[in-house]
Amino acid sequence: MWTLAISRRAALLGTAGLLAAPGLPHAQEAPPDVYGPADPQARRGGTLTVAIANEPPNLDPFHQAGDARTAVTVLMYQGLMYEHPSGDARPLLAESMQASPDGLTYTFRLRRNVRFHTGQPMTAADVKYSYDYIRDSSNGSPGATDFAAIAETAAPDDHTVVIRLSRPNASLPMTLTNRYGCVVPRDTFARPDARARLSQQSVGTGPFRLAEFRPQSHIRMARFPQYWEEGQPYLDGILFSVQPNAASLLVAVRNRRADVALLARPQDAEQLRDVQGLTIGTAPSLRQCALDLDSGHAQLRDVRVRRAIALAIDKRAVMQASIGGHGAVLGTTVAAMQESWGAPFDELPTQRPDRARALLAEAGLGDGFPLDLVGIIGFEWMDPAAVTIAQQLQRVGIRLNIQRVELGVWLNAFRTRNMRFTFNDWGTQPDPHILYYRHFRSPPQGADFRNWANADADRLLDRGMEASDPAERRRAYVELQKLMSDTVPTIMLFSPNLVTVTQSRVRNYAQHPTGWWFGLARTWIAA
Amino acid sequence: MLGALASRFGAAAATAVLSTAAVFLLIRAVPGDVVGEMLGQSAGDPAAEEALRAFFGLDRPLWRQYLGWAADALRGDLGASWRQGLPVAGIVGEAFLVTLQIGLATLALALLAGVPLGIVAGVRQGRWPDLAVEAFSLVALSAPVFWTGMVLLIAAGAWLGWSPPLVYAGPGEDLSDNLESIALPVLALGLLQAAAYAQFARQQTARVMRQDFVRAAVARGLPPRAVYGRHLLRNVAIPLVTFAGVILVQILGGVVVVETLFAIPGLGRTLLAAIQARDYPVLQGALLLAVLVALLVNLLVDLLYAAIDPRVRGA
Repeated sequence: MWTLAISRRAALLGTAGLLAAPGLPHAQEAPPDVYGPADPQARRGGTLTVAIANEPPNLDPFHQAGDARTAVTVLMYQGLMYEHPSGDARPLLAESMQASPDGLTYTFRLRRNVRFHTGQPMTAADVKYSYDYIRDSSNGSPGATDFAAIAETAAPDDHTVVIRLSRPNASLPMTLTNRYGCVVPRDTFARPDARARLSQQSVGTGPFRLAEFRPQSHIRMARFPQYWEEGQPYLDGILFSVQPNAASLLVAVRNRRADVALLARPQDAEQLRDVQGLTIGTAPSLRQCALDLDSGHAQLRDVRVRRAIALAIDKRAVMQASIGGHGAVLGTTVAAMQESWGAPFDELPTQRPDRARALLAEAGLGDGFPLDLVGIIGFEWMDPAAVTIAQQLQRVGIRLNIQRVELGVWLNAFRTRNMRFTFNDWGTQPDPHILYYRHFRSPPQGADFRNWANADADRLLDRGMEASDPAERRRAYVELQKLMSDTVPTIMLFSPNLVTVTQSRVRNYAQHPTGWWFGLARTWIAA
Repeated sequence: MLGALASRFGAAAATAVLSTAAVFLLIRAVPGDVVGEMLGQSAGDPAAEEALRAFFGLDRPLWRQYLGWAADALRGDLGASWRQGLPVAGIVGEAFLVTLQIGLATLALALLAGVPLGIVAGVRQGRWPDLAVEAFSLVALSAPVFWTGMVLLIAAGAWLGWSPPLVYAGPGEDLSDNLESIALPVLALGLLQAAAYAQFARQQTARVMRQDFVRAAVARGLPPRAVYGRHLLRNVAIPLVTFAGVILVQILGGVVVVETLFAIPGLGRTLLAAIQARDYPVLQGALLLAVLVALLVNLLVDLLYAAIDPRVRGA
C-alpha cells in the first residue's frame, strides 16, 4: 500500500525553495530521486505488462493533449523539470535553475550526459528549439497557451538555457515539466513526416524508447541503454496493452495476464480484494469530476441560480453513487492539492436546500424550472451522478433533463465556450496556476470556457501567477476559490482515488498523483 | 451472364461513389473535429486551432476536400491517419483481415452448428428436438452479444482460470495465441448467428418438407437418405447460401461490440476509434472498404447461387 500524503509544509517549502523570493537568486542542485526512490536491492531485466483503459491517439508530446498520451509519453520524453508529487517542480533535464530577482529571467544549467533516443547528445540549442516550437501558435501545439508566458529563449552556451518572461510567472518551472515541456532534438519538425514518425519512433531522452505502437492493441517500450541516470531503469521493457472494457481489464488482472493496472473505476477494487497475490494501492489524485456552469447560458446567467444549484447538491452522496465512495469530496481544488493550496473546507458553503429554495424564489423561479444537464458518453461515473443530482435538484424545484453527448461533440461545445450546464472530468499538474488560469482567466490571457467574466478573479489569477512569495500566492488562490464558491462557475464534486493493482512480483512502483506512469521508471520485477 | 455482371459492377460503383460522398458529408456534419480532439481541454489559443485546421486541410471548402480525397482514392492512395500518420490502406487492410478471420470463423461455427440443428428441427417439427432448438434459439437471439461475451469472459476466468491473451496476435504471428484471442469473440458472435441460422434453416426445411415432390418421394418409399440428401438438402441449400451472405455482412457490421469487449484490433474498433477522434481519412477508408466488401459478398452470393441453382444460370 502506498498512500501519498502531501504535507502542506513540505509542499510550500518545496515551492519556496524552488521559486525563491526575488532578491535571493539561488541555485538548486538536482535531487537524485525524481520518479521516486531508486532501490539498491532491485533486480534488473524483464518486461512488465501494464493494462491501460485508454489508448493514446498518438505519441506526439507536442501536438496531442489528453492524459492518455501524457500517461505513457512521460517515460520516453522529459522536460527540464519534473512535477514532483509533493507539488513542486524539480530539475530533471536541468541540473539547476536560477531565477533573477525580478522573477523575469530563469537560467537553467543542463545535465551534460543526456542523449536523445536518436543517439545525439542534448544541448541547449535543442531545448531552445523545443520551447520555441511549442510557444509558436502557428505550430498548433496545445501547450502554446501555457508557453505564451515565455517572451524569449536563449542558449548562451551548450549547457545553459536562459528563459525570459514578459511578466513574472511563478509557474514557469511547472510549465517546463512533462506534459508539454519535453525536449526533442532541434529540427525534429523540419521533416514533413515528423509528426507521423513520432508514433513509430521516439526521439526523447527518457528511460524508455518506443519499440512498437500498434493502434487499438498495444505499445511496447524498450529500455534506453544510453539513458543518463546511471543504472536506470531496471526493466528491459514495458508492454502497455489497451483494454477498453473494465471487465476485461479486471479479468486480465485476476488471471495474471497483466502485472500492473490502474483501475478506470476505483470501485472495481472491491472485486479484487479477495484475489491472492495482488496489491491494491490507493492514492489521492489531481483529477476532478465536476459540474460546470456556463454564465453565458440564459438559464444560468443569474448568479443566484448558480448559487442555488451549488447549495442544493450533496457532493458526498453524488460521489457515493458514482464511484462507491472511492475518492475525496472536493471544495474548490483537487484532492492532491487541497492541503497545499485549497481553501479550508470550513470557509466554504455547504449543502443548504432551504437557502437554495430562497435564492430561487428571490430570482423569480420559486415555482421551479426545467434545466438540461449534459453528460459525456463513455464516462461511466456521470450516469449515476446525473440521477443523484436530478433527485437533489428536484427538492429545490429544478427539473433536470439529462442529455448524453459524444466526447467530440462535448469538446466542441467546450472549446467554443458553449458549455451550458454540464459534467466535466479533467486533471492538472500540481500547480494552482496551471489548474485555474487558462480555464478561468478572461481572454485573451485565458480562455474562460465558462464565460465567468469575473474581473476580481482575473486580478487574483494574475496576482497568483506573479507573486513569488508562496504565502502571498496561497492567499491569492484561497481568495480566488472563495470567489468561485460564491459565484459558482463550477462545482468541483470529487476526485476519484487512483487505484493501482500490482502483482506480487512487481516492486518499487509508486503511483504519481497525475495518474501518469512515471513510477515505472523505478519499478523492477522480482524473480 | 456477362451483361448481368457488368450491370452489377456499374451499380456497385455508383453505390461506392454515393456512399463515400454521403459518409464524407455526414461525418463532417457531426460537431467536433480532429483539432478539438488534439487540443482537448488544453484548447484556448485560437491561433493554434487555426494552424491545426490548416495543417489538416479543414480550412478548404468541402467540395475541394472531397474531390481531393476521391482523386487520391482512385489512384489507390487513401491518405494517412490523422492520429498516427500511418497509411490508411495499411491500417484498414490489417484491421479488415483481423475482422475477416473472426467473421469467417463465426460463419463457420454458425453454419456447422446452426444448419444441422435447424434441419433436424424442421424435419422433426413439434417434437422434442424442435422444441430444444427453439429454446436455444430464443435464448441466444435475445441475449445481446455484449452480454453473452461478458458472461463467457467472466465464466472462463472464474471457472477455468483462463482469460484471453492481453495482446492480440495474428494467425501468422502466433497461431495458438491467435486461436486463444479469437475463441471467445467467435463463440459469443457464433452462438447468436447459429441461432439465427437454426431458425432460418428450420423454416426453410419446413417449407420444403411441405412441398409435393418431397411428399411424393416419401410416398414412393425412397429411403430417408435419398429424400433428405437429394430432395431436401439441395432445395434448402439455395436460401442457406443466400443467408450466409447476409449473415457475413451482419457479422462484419456487428463485430465492433466484441472487438471492443475483447480488445481485438479489428475493423470495428478501428472505425469506432476513428469516429471518436474524427480521424476522417481512416473513417472514409474503412467505410469505403466496408461498402466494397458488402458489394463483393453480395456479388459472390449471386454467383454461388447460380452455381447451385441451374434455373438462375440462364438469367
